[in-house]
Amino acid sequence: MKRLLLLVTLALAGCADPDAHPRTFANSDLQLAVGNGARMGCSCMFVMNMSEGYCREWVKASPDVAKLTFDVANKRVEASTFVSWTATAHFVDEKHGCVLR
Amino acid sequence: MNGRALLVSSLLATGAAAQSVCPARDVWPDGDWQQQPVTGKDAAIAELESYAFTLEGELYGRKGLHTNGLVVIHRGVLVYERYARGFSADNRHLSWSVAKSVSSALVGIAARDGLLHPDDSVCAHLPEYEGTEACGITVKHAITFATGLDWVEDYENGNYQTSSVLSMLFGVGSGDQLRHILTHRFSARPGQQWRYSTGDAALASAVAKRALEKKYGADPFWPALFDVIGMRDVVVEQDVKGTPLGGSCVYATPREFAKFGYLFLNDGCWNGTRVLPEGWVAASTTPSEAFVDFGTAADQYPSGYSWWLGVPVPERQVPSRWPDVPADTFAAQGHWGQRIIVVPSEDLVVVRVGDDREEPMNTNDLLKRVLEVVR
Repeated sequence: MKRLLLLVTLALAGCADPDAHPRTFANSDLQLAVGNGARMGCSCMFVMNMSEGYCREWVKASPDVAKLTFDVANKRVEASTFVSWTATAHFVDEKHGCVLR
Repeated sequence: MNGRALLVSSLLATGAAAQSVCPARDVWPDGDWQQQPVTGKDAAIAELESYAFTLEGELYGRKGLHTNGLVVIHRGVLVYERYARGFSADNRHLSWSVAKSVSSALVGIAARDGLLHPDDSVCAHLPEYEGTEACGITVKHAITFATGLDWVEDYENGNYQTSSVLSMLFGVGSGDQLRHILTHRFSARPGQQWRYSTGDAALASAVAKRALEKKYGADPFWPALFDVIGMRDVVVEQDVKGTPLGGSCVYATPREFAKFGYLFLNDGCWNGTRVLPEGWVAASTTPSEAFVDFGTAADQYPSGYSWWLGVPVPERQVPSRWPDVPADTFAAQGHWGQRIIVVPSEDLVVVRVGDDREEPMNTNDLLKRVLEVVR
Protein backbone atom coordinates (compact mmCIF):
# COMPACT_ATOMS: atom_id res chain seq x y z
CA MET A 1 0.00 0.00 0.00
CA LYS A 2 2.84 2.39 0.87
CA ARG A 3 4.48 1.61 -2.48
CA LEU A 4 1.22 2.34 -4.31
CA LEU A 5 0.86 5.62 -2.46
CA LEU A 6 4.42 6.54 -3.42
CA LEU A 7 3.80 5.75 -7.07
CA VAL A 8 0.56 7.73 -7.20
CA THR A 9 2.33 10.67 -5.60
CA LEU A 10 5.18 10.44 -8.10
CA ALA A 11 2.71 10.19 -10.99
CA LEU A 12 0.83 13.28 -9.86
CA ALA A 13 4.08 15.18 -9.44
CA GLY A 14 4.20 15.60 -13.18
CA CYS A 15 1.42 18.14 -13.54
CA ALA A 16 2.90 20.87 -15.70
CA ASP A 17 2.74 24.57 -15.02
CA PRO A 18 4.11 26.38 -18.08
CA ASP A 19 3.96 29.75 -16.32
CA ALA A 20 5.97 28.64 -13.33
CA HIS A 21 9.54 29.79 -12.95
CA PRO A 22 11.52 27.82 -13.73
CA ARG A 23 9.28 26.13 -16.25
CA THR A 24 7.85 22.79 -15.19
CA PHE A 25 7.23 19.90 -17.53
CA ALA A 26 4.39 17.44 -17.74
CA ASN A 27 6.60 14.56 -16.69
CA SER A 28 6.00 12.43 -13.69
CA ASP A 29 9.00 10.81 -12.07
CA LEU A 30 7.61 7.52 -13.33
CA GLN A 31 7.59 8.69 -16.93
CA LEU A 32 11.20 9.82 -16.64
CA ALA A 33 12.13 6.56 -14.96
CA VAL A 34 10.74 4.42 -17.77
CA GLY A 35 12.13 6.76 -20.45
CA ASN A 36 15.56 6.52 -18.87
CA GLY A 37 15.31 2.77 -18.48
CA ALA A 38 14.25 2.12 -22.05
CA ARG A 39 16.65 4.53 -23.78
CA MET A 40 19.70 3.86 -21.66
CA GLY A 41 19.05 0.14 -21.44
CA CYS A 42 18.75 -0.19 -25.19
CA SER A 43 21.90 1.82 -25.86
CA CYS A 44 23.86 -0.02 -23.18
CA MET A 45 23.00 -3.40 -24.63
CA PHE A 46 22.93 -2.78 -28.38
CA VAL A 47 25.30 0.19 -28.83
CA MET A 48 27.85 -0.39 -26.07
CA ASN A 49 27.37 -4.15 -26.41
CA MET A 50 27.44 -4.80 -22.69
CA SER A 51 25.73 -7.66 -20.91
CA GLU A 52 22.14 -7.56 -19.70
CA GLY A 53 23.31 -7.76 -16.11
CA TYR A 54 25.64 -4.80 -16.57
CA CYS A 55 22.95 -2.80 -18.33
CA ARG A 56 20.38 -3.37 -15.62
CA GLU A 57 22.78 -1.75 -13.17
CA TRP A 58 23.86 0.96 -15.65
CA VAL A 59 20.31 2.33 -16.00
CA LYS A 60 19.34 2.27 -12.34
CA ALA A 61 17.94 5.62 -11.33
CA SER A 62 16.00 7.05 -8.45
CA PRO A 63 13.19 6.15 -8.03
CA ASP A 64 14.23 2.62 -8.98
CA VAL A 65 10.78 1.57 -10.09
CA ALA A 66 11.25 0.69 -13.77
CA LYS A 67 10.97 -2.98 -14.71
CA LEU A 68 13.08 -3.71 -17.79
CA THR A 69 12.42 -6.31 -20.45
CA PHE A 70 15.26 -6.93 -22.91
CA ASP A 71 14.11 -8.33 -26.25
CA VAL A 72 17.44 -9.34 -27.73
CA ALA A 73 16.00 -10.86 -30.90
CA ASN A 74 14.28 -7.62 -31.88
CA LYS A 75 16.86 -5.32 -30.26
CA ARG A 76 14.21 -3.64 -28.17
CA VAL A 77 13.97 -2.69 -24.49
CA GLU A 78 10.73 -1.97 -22.69
CA ALA A 79 10.59 -0.26 -19.32
CA SER A 80 7.42 -0.22 -17.29
CA THR A 81 6.02 0.37 -13.87
CA PHE A 82 3.11 -1.54 -12.43
CA VAL A 83 0.92 1.50 -12.92
CA SER A 84 0.38 2.80 -16.42
CA TRP A 85 3.78 4.12 -17.51
CA THR A 86 5.63 2.25 -20.25
CA ALA A 87 8.40 3.30 -22.62
CA THR A 88 10.11 1.41 -25.41
CA ALA A 89 13.38 2.01 -27.19
CA HIS A 90 14.65 0.02 -30.11
CA PHE A 91 17.92 -0.24 -31.98
CA VAL A 92 17.65 1.47 -35.37
CA ASP A 93 21.02 0.85 -37.03
CA GLU A 94 24.77 1.10 -36.52
CA LYS A 95 24.85 4.86 -37.09
CA HIS A 96 21.85 5.96 -35.05
CA GLY A 97 21.77 3.49 -32.19
CA CYS A 98 18.56 3.43 -30.20
CA VAL A 99 15.53 5.65 -30.43
CA LEU A 100 12.98 6.19 -27.66
CA ARG A 101 9.32 5.93 -28.56
CA MET B 1 34.93 41.77 -27.40
CA ASN B 2 38.31 40.84 -25.96
CA GLY B 3 41.47 40.94 -28.03
CA ARG B 4 41.86 37.21 -28.55
CA ALA B 5 38.21 36.80 -29.51
CA LEU B 6 38.57 39.64 -32.02
CA LEU B 7 41.62 37.99 -33.54
CA VAL B 8 39.82 34.67 -33.76
CA SER B 9 36.76 36.26 -35.36
CA SER B 10 39.00 37.90 -37.94
CA LEU B 11 40.65 34.59 -38.71
CA LEU B 12 37.29 32.92 -39.14
CA ALA B 13 36.03 35.68 -41.38
CA THR B 14 38.84 34.99 -43.81
CA GLY B 15 39.52 31.37 -42.95
CA ALA B 16 37.10 29.75 -45.36
CA ALA B 17 38.94 31.21 -48.30
CA ALA B 18 42.47 31.01 -46.99
CA GLN B 19 43.58 27.39 -46.65
CA SER B 20 46.39 27.58 -44.13
CA VAL B 21 49.21 25.10 -44.05
CA CYS B 22 48.56 22.20 -41.73
CA PRO B 23 51.05 21.41 -38.96
CA ALA B 24 53.83 19.08 -39.98
CA ARG B 25 53.14 15.58 -38.69
CA ASP B 26 54.56 12.24 -39.75
CA VAL B 27 52.40 9.92 -37.68
CA TRP B 28 48.69 9.43 -38.38
CA PRO B 29 46.37 6.64 -37.31
CA ASP B 30 45.85 5.20 -40.74
CA GLY B 31 43.10 2.82 -39.71
CA ASP B 32 44.09 2.10 -36.13
CA TRP B 33 46.68 3.71 -33.90
CA GLN B 34 50.31 2.66 -33.99
CA GLN B 35 51.14 1.19 -30.61
CA GLN B 36 54.32 1.62 -28.61
CA PRO B 37 53.62 0.98 -24.94
CA VAL B 38 55.55 3.20 -22.58
CA THR B 39 58.40 1.44 -20.79
CA GLY B 40 60.47 2.12 -17.71
CA LYS B 41 57.70 4.01 -15.96
CA ASP B 42 56.33 1.31 -13.69
CA ALA B 43 56.01 3.54 -10.65
CA ALA B 44 54.21 6.29 -12.58
CA ILE B 45 51.88 3.76 -14.18
CA ALA B 46 51.14 2.21 -10.81
CA GLU B 47 50.29 5.64 -9.41
CA LEU B 48 48.04 6.41 -12.40
CA GLU B 49 46.24 3.10 -12.12
CA SER B 50 45.79 3.29 -8.38
CA TYR B 51 44.02 6.59 -8.98
CA ALA B 52 42.00 5.84 -12.11
CA PHE B 53 41.20 2.18 -11.62
CA THR B 54 39.96 2.32 -8.09
CA LEU B 55 38.99 -0.91 -6.43
CA GLU B 56 36.45 0.76 -4.20
CA GLY B 57 32.98 -0.71 -4.24
CA GLU B 58 31.55 -3.78 -5.87
CA LEU B 59 31.83 -4.36 -9.59
CA TYR B 60 28.61 -2.48 -10.16
CA GLY B 61 28.81 -0.31 -7.08
CA ARG B 62 28.46 3.41 -7.36
CA LYS B 63 31.22 4.59 -5.04
CA GLY B 64 34.58 5.91 -6.14
CA LEU B 65 36.02 6.35 -9.61
CA HIS B 66 34.88 3.76 -12.11
CA THR B 67 37.17 3.97 -15.12
CA ASN B 68 35.94 1.78 -17.95
CA GLY B 69 38.69 2.72 -20.39
CA LEU B 70 41.82 4.89 -20.52
CA VAL B 71 43.81 5.60 -23.69
CA VAL B 72 46.90 7.82 -23.98
CA ILE B 73 48.18 9.06 -27.33
CA HIS B 74 51.64 10.66 -27.13
CA ARG B 75 53.39 12.03 -30.19
CA GLY B 76 50.80 10.35 -32.39
CA VAL B 77 51.29 6.88 -30.96
CA LEU B 78 49.18 4.89 -28.51
CA VAL B 79 51.46 4.51 -25.50
CA TYR B 80 49.03 3.36 -22.83
CA GLU B 81 45.66 1.65 -22.82
CA ARG B 82 43.65 -0.18 -20.22
CA TYR B 83 40.04 -1.26 -19.87
CA ALA B 84 38.02 -2.50 -16.92
CA ARG B 85 34.61 -3.62 -15.69
CA GLY B 86 33.83 -5.69 -18.75
CA PHE B 87 34.80 -3.11 -21.38
CA SER B 88 37.39 -3.70 -24.10
CA ALA B 89 38.85 -1.71 -26.97
CA ASP B 90 35.89 -2.82 -29.07
CA ASN B 91 33.11 -1.43 -26.88
CA ARG B 92 31.64 1.90 -27.76
CA HIS B 93 31.05 4.10 -24.72
CA LEU B 94 28.50 6.79 -24.00
CA SER B 95 29.97 10.27 -24.39
CA TRP B 96 27.43 12.27 -22.46
CA SER B 97 28.45 15.93 -22.95
CA VAL B 98 31.66 15.16 -24.81
CA ALA B 99 29.14 15.15 -27.66
CA LYS B 100 28.89 18.94 -27.38
CA SER B 101 32.46 19.36 -28.61
CA VAL B 102 31.71 17.02 -31.52
CA SER B 103 28.65 19.05 -32.46
CA SER B 104 30.58 22.31 -32.45
CA ALA B 105 33.18 20.72 -34.76
CA LEU B 106 30.40 19.72 -37.16
CA VAL B 107 29.28 23.33 -37.19
CA GLY B 108 32.86 24.23 -38.06
CA ILE B 109 32.91 21.86 -41.01
CA ALA B 110 29.67 23.35 -42.29
CA ALA B 111 31.32 26.77 -42.00
CA ARG B 112 34.38 25.52 -43.90
CA ASP B 113 32.12 24.36 -46.71
CA GLY B 114 30.28 27.68 -46.83
CA LEU B 115 27.04 25.99 -45.78
CA LEU B 116 26.58 28.24 -42.81
CA HIS B 117 28.21 31.16 -41.03
CA PRO B 118 28.49 31.27 -37.24
CA ASP B 119 26.58 34.55 -37.28
CA ASP B 120 23.63 33.07 -39.16
CA SER B 121 20.30 32.98 -37.37
CA VAL B 122 19.40 29.40 -36.55
CA CYS B 123 16.18 30.04 -38.47
CA ALA B 124 18.21 30.30 -41.68
CA HIS B 125 18.70 26.56 -41.28
CA LEU B 126 15.50 25.65 -39.45
CA PRO B 127 12.90 27.37 -41.61
CA GLU B 128 9.99 25.89 -39.68
CA TYR B 129 10.90 28.33 -36.88
CA GLU B 130 11.02 31.38 -39.16
CA GLY B 131 9.12 34.26 -37.58
CA THR B 132 9.56 33.03 -34.01
CA GLU B 133 11.59 34.52 -31.20
CA ALA B 134 14.14 31.75 -31.79
CA CYS B 135 15.40 33.63 -34.83
CA GLY B 136 17.35 35.95 -32.57
CA ILE B 137 19.64 33.02 -31.78
CA THR B 138 22.72 32.63 -33.96
CA VAL B 139 24.68 29.46 -34.59
CA LYS B 140 27.55 30.94 -32.59
CA HIS B 141 25.23 31.53 -29.63
CA ALA B 142 24.34 27.83 -29.74
CA ILE B 143 27.96 26.63 -29.61
CA THR B 144 28.93 29.06 -26.85
CA PHE B 145 26.03 28.45 -24.44
CA ALA B 146 24.69 31.91 -25.16
CA THR B 147 21.22 31.37 -26.63
CA GLY B 148 19.60 33.14 -23.69
CA LEU B 149 17.08 30.32 -23.29
CA ASP B 150 15.84 29.65 -19.77
CA TRP B 151 17.25 26.12 -19.78
CA VAL B 152 17.59 24.10 -16.56
CA GLU B 153 20.47 21.63 -16.69
CA ASP B 154 19.59 19.39 -13.75
CA TYR B 155 20.39 15.70 -13.65
CA GLU B 156 19.56 12.82 -11.35
CA ASN B 157 20.20 14.80 -8.20
CA GLY B 158 18.15 17.80 -9.26
CA ASN B 159 14.46 18.58 -9.60
CA TYR B 160 12.94 16.20 -12.12
CA GLN B 161 9.94 18.38 -12.91
CA THR B 162 11.94 21.45 -13.85
CA SER B 163 14.88 19.74 -15.55
CA SER B 164 14.92 20.73 -19.21
CA VAL B 165 17.49 18.08 -20.07
CA LEU B 166 15.77 15.13 -18.41
CA SER B 167 12.54 16.08 -20.10
CA MET B 168 14.31 16.27 -23.46
CA LEU B 169 16.06 12.92 -23.13
CA PHE B 170 13.47 10.84 -21.31
CA GLY B 171 10.20 12.74 -20.96
CA VAL B 172 7.70 14.87 -22.84
CA GLY B 173 10.41 16.62 -24.83
CA SER B 174 11.95 13.45 -26.21
CA GLY B 175 9.62 13.07 -29.21
CA ASP B 176 10.60 16.40 -30.76
CA GLN B 177 13.62 17.73 -28.96
CA LEU B 178 14.04 20.72 -31.24
CA ARG B 179 10.56 21.95 -30.38
CA HIS B 180 11.26 21.24 -26.71
CA ILE B 181 14.38 23.43 -26.85
CA LEU B 182 12.95 26.29 -28.85
CA THR B 183 9.74 26.58 -26.84
CA HIS B 184 11.72 27.49 -23.76
CA ARG B 185 11.25 31.12 -22.90
CA PHE B 186 14.21 33.47 -22.80
CA SER B 187 15.86 34.46 -19.56
CA ALA B 188 18.13 36.90 -21.43
CA ARG B 189 18.51 38.20 -24.93
CA PRO B 190 20.61 35.91 -27.11
CA GLY B 191 24.27 36.66 -26.53
CA GLN B 192 23.55 38.26 -23.17
CA GLN B 193 23.89 35.14 -21.04
CA TRP B 194 26.32 32.26 -20.52
CA ARG B 195 24.46 29.20 -19.28
CA TYR B 196 25.64 25.62 -19.72
CA SER B 197 22.96 23.86 -21.73
CA THR B 198 22.54 20.53 -23.45
CA GLY B 199 19.72 22.23 -25.32
CA ASP B 200 22.09 24.75 -26.87
CA ALA B 201 24.40 21.98 -28.06
CA ALA B 202 21.54 19.89 -29.40
CA LEU B 203 20.32 22.96 -31.27
CA ALA B 204 23.80 23.38 -32.76
CA SER B 205 23.87 19.77 -33.91
CA ALA B 206 20.44 20.12 -35.50
CA VAL B 207 21.61 23.20 -37.42
CA ALA B 208 24.82 21.45 -38.45
CA LYS B 209 22.88 18.48 -39.76
CA ARG B 210 20.50 20.60 -41.81
CA ALA B 211 23.37 22.63 -43.26
CA LEU B 212 25.59 19.64 -44.04
CA GLU B 213 22.74 17.69 -45.67
CA LYS B 214 22.87 20.18 -48.56
CA LYS B 215 26.30 18.87 -49.54
CA TYR B 216 26.55 15.41 -48.04
CA GLY B 217 22.95 14.13 -48.17
CA ALA B 218 21.32 12.04 -45.47
CA ASP B 219 23.49 11.17 -42.49
CA PRO B 220 25.99 13.91 -43.32
CA PHE B 221 28.09 13.63 -40.16
CA TRP B 222 29.86 10.52 -41.44
CA PRO B 223 31.15 11.77 -44.80
CA ALA B 224 31.79 15.24 -43.38
CA LEU B 225 33.78 14.16 -40.31
CA PHE B 226 33.69 10.63 -38.95
CA ASP B 227 34.74 8.83 -42.12
CA VAL B 228 37.46 11.40 -42.74
CA ILE B 229 39.20 10.79 -39.41
CA GLY B 230 38.49 7.07 -39.16
CA MET B 231 35.81 7.07 -36.47
CA ARG B 232 34.31 4.03 -38.14
CA ASP B 233 31.99 2.85 -35.41
CA VAL B 234 30.64 6.10 -34.05
CA VAL B 235 26.92 6.31 -33.22
CA VAL B 236 24.93 9.53 -32.97
CA GLU B 237 21.49 8.89 -31.55
CA GLN B 238 18.50 10.94 -32.57
CA ASP B 239 14.85 11.48 -31.74
CA VAL B 240 11.97 10.05 -33.75
CA LYS B 241 12.02 13.12 -35.99
CA GLY B 242 15.66 12.54 -36.91
CA THR B 243 17.10 15.39 -34.86
CA PRO B 244 20.50 14.32 -33.50
CA LEU B 245 21.00 14.15 -29.74
CA GLY B 246 24.16 16.15 -30.27
CA GLY B 247 24.38 17.42 -26.74
CA SER B 248 24.78 14.07 -25.08
CA CYS B 249 24.28 10.81 -26.93
CA VAL B 250 27.32 10.09 -29.10
CA TYR B 251 28.93 6.68 -28.69
CA ALA B 252 32.41 5.65 -29.83
CA THR B 253 35.31 3.53 -28.68
CA PRO B 254 38.00 5.32 -26.67
CA ARG B 255 40.44 4.91 -29.56
CA GLU B 256 37.95 6.65 -31.83
CA PHE B 257 37.37 9.46 -29.38
CA ALA B 258 41.15 9.85 -29.34
CA LYS B 259 41.07 10.49 -33.08
CA PHE B 260 38.67 13.36 -32.48
CA GLY B 261 41.10 14.76 -29.90
CA TYR B 262 43.96 14.27 -32.33
CA LEU B 263 42.10 16.33 -34.93
CA PHE B 264 42.04 19.22 -32.47
CA LEU B 265 45.65 18.61 -31.41
CA ASN B 266 46.57 19.14 -35.06
CA ASP B 267 44.73 22.44 -35.52
CA GLY B 268 41.79 20.79 -37.25
CA CYS B 269 43.91 19.02 -39.89
CA TRP B 270 43.97 15.33 -40.69
CA ASN B 271 46.88 13.84 -42.57
CA GLY B 272 47.60 17.08 -44.40
CA THR B 273 43.98 17.98 -45.14
CA ARG B 274 42.27 20.86 -43.40
CA VAL B 275 39.05 19.48 -41.88
CA LEU B 276 38.15 22.45 -39.68
CA PRO B 277 38.53 25.98 -41.00
CA GLU B 278 41.58 27.97 -40.09
CA GLY B 279 41.06 29.62 -36.73
CA TRP B 280 38.34 27.20 -35.63
CA VAL B 281 40.48 25.33 -33.10
CA ALA B 282 41.79 28.65 -31.77
CA ALA B 283 38.22 29.91 -31.35
CA SER B 284 37.18 26.62 -29.78
CA THR B 285 39.94 26.92 -27.19
CA THR B 286 39.63 30.61 -26.37
CA PRO B 287 37.16 31.74 -23.70
CA SER B 288 34.09 32.81 -25.60
CA GLU B 289 32.81 36.34 -25.62
CA ALA B 290 29.73 35.11 -23.75
CA PHE B 291 31.85 33.52 -21.02
CA VAL B 292 34.14 36.52 -20.69
CA ASP B 293 31.17 38.88 -20.49
CA PHE B 294 28.76 36.78 -18.44
CA GLY B 295 30.56 33.76 -16.95
CA THR B 296 31.21 33.64 -13.25
CA ALA B 297 33.55 31.84 -10.93
CA ALA B 298 30.59 29.67 -9.99
CA ASP B 299 30.33 28.42 -13.56
CA GLN B 300 32.12 25.19 -14.28
CA TYR B 301 35.00 26.16 -16.57
CA PRO B 302 35.78 28.77 -19.16
CA SER B 303 34.57 27.52 -22.49
CA GLY B 304 35.15 28.33 -26.12
CA TYR B 305 33.21 26.54 -28.83
CA SER B 306 31.91 23.89 -26.41
CA TRP B 307 35.39 22.92 -25.25
CA TRP B 308 36.49 23.41 -21.63
CA LEU B 309 39.64 25.36 -20.97
CA GLY B 310 42.36 25.40 -18.37
CA VAL B 311 43.14 29.08 -18.73
CA PRO B 312 42.12 31.53 -16.05
CA VAL B 313 39.75 34.35 -16.96
CA PRO B 314 40.85 37.26 -14.77
CA GLU B 315 38.07 39.52 -16.10
CA ARG B 316 35.58 37.22 -14.34
CA GLN B 317 37.80 36.29 -11.38
CA VAL B 318 37.83 32.73 -12.69
CA PRO B 319 41.02 30.87 -11.73
CA SER B 320 42.62 28.04 -13.66
CA ARG B 321 40.62 24.92 -12.95
CA TRP B 322 43.59 22.66 -13.65
CA PRO B 323 46.51 24.24 -11.77
CA ASP B 324 48.93 21.30 -12.03
CA VAL B 325 48.94 20.84 -15.80
CA PRO B 326 49.97 22.97 -18.79
CA ALA B 327 47.88 26.08 -19.31
CA ASP B 328 47.13 25.16 -22.92
CA THR B 329 45.16 22.07 -21.86
CA PHE B 330 41.62 21.85 -23.19
CA ALA B 331 39.04 19.13 -22.86
CA ALA B 332 35.72 17.73 -23.93
CA GLN B 333 33.96 16.66 -20.77
CA GLY B 334 30.87 14.61 -20.04
CA HIS B 335 28.74 13.41 -17.15
CA TRP B 336 30.05 10.52 -15.06
CA GLY B 337 33.64 11.45 -15.94
CA GLN B 338 33.86 11.14 -19.71
CA ARG B 339 36.92 13.02 -20.99
CA ILE B 340 38.89 13.82 -24.14
CA ILE B 341 41.87 15.86 -22.93
CA VAL B 342 44.22 17.60 -25.36
CA VAL B 343 47.58 19.12 -24.36
CA PRO B 344 49.28 20.70 -27.39
CA SER B 345 52.48 21.59 -25.54
CA GLU B 346 52.94 17.92 -24.61
CA ASP B 347 51.73 16.50 -27.95
CA LEU B 348 49.23 14.52 -25.93
CA VAL B 349 45.64 13.24 -26.13
CA VAL B 350 44.05 11.38 -23.24
CA VAL B 351 40.65 9.67 -23.41
CA ARG B 352 38.97 8.43 -20.30
CA VAL B 353 35.52 6.83 -20.20
CA GLY B 354 33.87 5.92 -16.96
CA ASP B 355 30.90 5.57 -14.73
CA ASP B 356 31.49 7.91 -11.80
CA ARG B 357 28.10 8.25 -10.19
CA GLU B 358 29.38 9.69 -6.93
CA GLU B 359 31.91 12.35 -7.96
CA PRO B 360 33.31 12.69 -11.49
CA MET B 361 36.94 12.18 -12.38
CA ASN B 362 39.00 15.31 -11.78
CA THR B 363 40.72 16.27 -15.02
CA ASN B 364 43.64 17.92 -13.25
CA ASP B 365 44.28 14.92 -11.00
CA LEU B 366 44.10 12.45 -13.87
CA LEU B 367 46.23 14.46 -16.26
CA LYS B 368 49.05 15.22 -13.84
CA ARG B 369 49.44 11.46 -13.33
CA VAL B 370 49.39 10.79 -17.06
CA LEU B 371 52.08 13.41 -17.55
CA GLU B 372 54.31 11.54 -15.11
CA VAL B 373 53.93 8.50 -17.33
CA VAL B 374 54.74 10.14 -20.65
CA ARG B 375 57.36 12.72 -19.69
